Amino acid sequence: MSTQPASGQQQGDILLQVRNLKMYFPIVKGAFGAVKGYVRAADDINFDIRFGETVGLVGESGCGKTTVGRCIVRAYKPTGGQMLYYGSNDGQVVDLAELSEDQVRPYRRDIRMIFQDPYSSLNPRMPVFENVGEGLLNLTDIRGKDLEERVKDAIVRVGLRPEYIRRFPHAFSGGERQRIVIARALVTNPRLVVCDEAVAALDVSIRAQVLNLLENLRNDLNLTYLFVSHDLSVVRYICDRVVVMYVGKMVESAPVNDLFARPLHPYTEALMSSVPIQNPRQRNRGARIRLEGEVADPSNPPTGCYFHPRCRYAQERCRVEQPVLREVAPNRMVACHFAEELDLQGAIQA
Amino acid sequence: MNDSLLEFKDLRVHFFTDEGVVKAVDGVDLSVPRGKTTCIVGESGCGKSVMSLAAMRIVQKPGRIVSGQILWHGKNGKVTDLSELSPSGPDIRKVRGGEIAMIFQEPMTSLSMLYTIGNQIGEVIRLHQGVSKQEARNRTIEMLRKVRIPRPERLVDEYPFRLSGGMRQRAMIAMALSCNPALLIADEPTTALDVTTQAQILDLMLDLQREYGMGIMFITHDLGVVAEIADYVAVMYLGRVVESADADTLFNNPKHPYTQALLGSIPKITATRQPLEPIQGMVPNPFRRPAGCSFHPRCAQAMAACSEIVPEAYRIADGHIARCLLYADNQPAGGEPAQSMMRSMR
Repeated sequence: MSTQPASGQQQGDILLQVRNLKMYFPIVKGAFGAVKGYVRAADDINFDIRFGETVGLVGESGCGKTTVGRCIVRAYKPTGGQMLYYGSNDGQVVDLAELSEDQVRPYRRDIRMIFQDPYSSLNPRMPVFENVGEGLLNLTDIRGKDLEERVKDAIVRVGLRPEYIRRFPHAFSGGERQRIVIARALVTNPRLVVCDEAVAALDVSIRAQVLNLLENLRNDLNLTYLFVSHDLSVVRYICDRVVVMYVGKMVESAPVNDLFARPLHPYTEALMSSVPIQNPRQRNRGARIRLEGEVADPSNPPTGCYFHPRCRYAQERCRVEQPVLREVAPNRMVACHFAEELDLQGAIQA
Repeated sequence: MNDSLLEFKDLRVHFFTDEGVVKAVDGVDLSVPRGKTTCIVGESGCGKSVMSLAAMRIVQKPGRIVSGQILWHGKNGKVTDLSELSPSGPDIRKVRGGEIAMIFQEPMTSLSMLYTIGNQIGEVIRLHQGVSKQEARNRTIEMLRKVRIPRPERLVDEYPFRLSGGMRQRAMIAMALSCNPALLIADEPTTALDVTTQAQILDLMLDLQREYGMGIMFITHDLGVVAEIADYVAVMYLGRVVESADADTLFNNPKHPYTQALLGSIPKITATRQPLEPIQGMVPNPFRRPAGCSFHPRCAQAMAACSEIVPEAYRIADGHIARCLLYADNQPAGGEPAQSMMRSMR
């Protein structure tokens, strides 16, 4: 059940281009539904996903990372921008952001999602067979014996036994449920899988099993992942490139090793510095950067750079002028006026 | 350790459910020293939370303390066995909130939505210190300032839902510390918070510990947090402490296979990609605990004897013990004669 690259596509070719993606949610007040403003959950997001790579989307809660993931699987129709998909079988480039509900259906097989909480994302009243096979029933003509074969295939792929398909979700542990959720995503032979905090709810010993499973599946099935996560250690482990978001804006994107060796945006630096290091000998708390204050309100963001009230390098210009996302080195985008001048520290080296 | 604040001695807390007995805590020996941070680490279901609830005597039915002691070394050298007190009597009420305070993972569920922050913290102060309303209010504002909540004179009259997650957890800490407890039990207090907020809260807790000198018993599943704050660490698996040591030893010279496996299965931010070695299998069903060492079905170094003998705690070095038959040639940590008999069986 390996996914063949669409017409001539290979490792490294662009699979999805996200351009100026916007998702605004209206704030409705009063009995007549007057719109009082917008929550800019995602604003001007730009990044590419290449065939066969894992792109990490990181940030703190409320930064809009899940919103971007949901736009890509078209759970939301974006307010603006483009999502150019290069993976369609006829070789055409399609803008997923523009398609109507009906037009987007054929692509739902190609782009699938894995959710965080394996307890709430499986239907408790359906056996595993129906939970996993639902996508095929809804999106393809596969029925009967073939359907059962495909479901069993997917279940075996994720390391469970084929006879499990008759059981109900409550009979499984959290780790096994997450495998079922992964099987459900794989059953349609997708090209791109959006993993939304796919391991966050799992215990540490199970987390490593699932991370390794995702890694093996990527290699075996030529999958491409968008890995939405708040956990920088996991992102560092599994991703090839990383996009960092803050209050709905993209602040930085870079290849994973470059980002962790030398971040270019002060927010990325502070985020890395906050991650606990697993060795008491490296505590060295004085040298760590601590953010003051709280994340800005996305419905009422500060002027200029959204990060400036908490930024230790902020200057007058940051208060008034919003920085644009620009390419400062090959494959390195950053939205900071002073990216070239700052010498920021990466994750502390072991 | 002579400077114990709280001592668990062979504590057993079992839950008598319709489906069977869950031995959530099954023979825990642990000492929490004064003025230091002791981290209890383990996966879900290992009994780390139940153990702390037992110390506060707030284990819910159908759970109860079956045997063992919880020795509280209170003021002026008085030792009380908390497990013998009535869970709703006046003696435990004096300890709970006054001498031992507790904060929980989700501050929104531990604060009442119907009362203001000032009301809730003030109540604790008035109950335990018997001061006037006005004085309690002043002390509340003082505490809120201590936990670095901005504009405490205004915030004292706010309701919890108006605060962010990090601010609520600060308010909880303010409430917990308002009576200057000797021990603060923190049950996953930063798990629901973002990393930058988590870093702020951990810093705050350590600063306040320096100022007030309280002991902290910190319960978490996150080894990163443990490495950041712990003086001593106890690793739990299925209701027992399998290894305990000072933080440096535990991270740099772990002895129990479970601790070693746990440390090897976590991605590290400082290292480049190296393959993770996950622990095989999963935490067993609590109704069907494996015989012998509970970890043996998942253990890479399991021997034949592991499925039969429940390992006792062996002494590795001063203050470092491991419950594993690999170290059966070492001195038993407890030194009870009954246990050395089992050693000769090997």
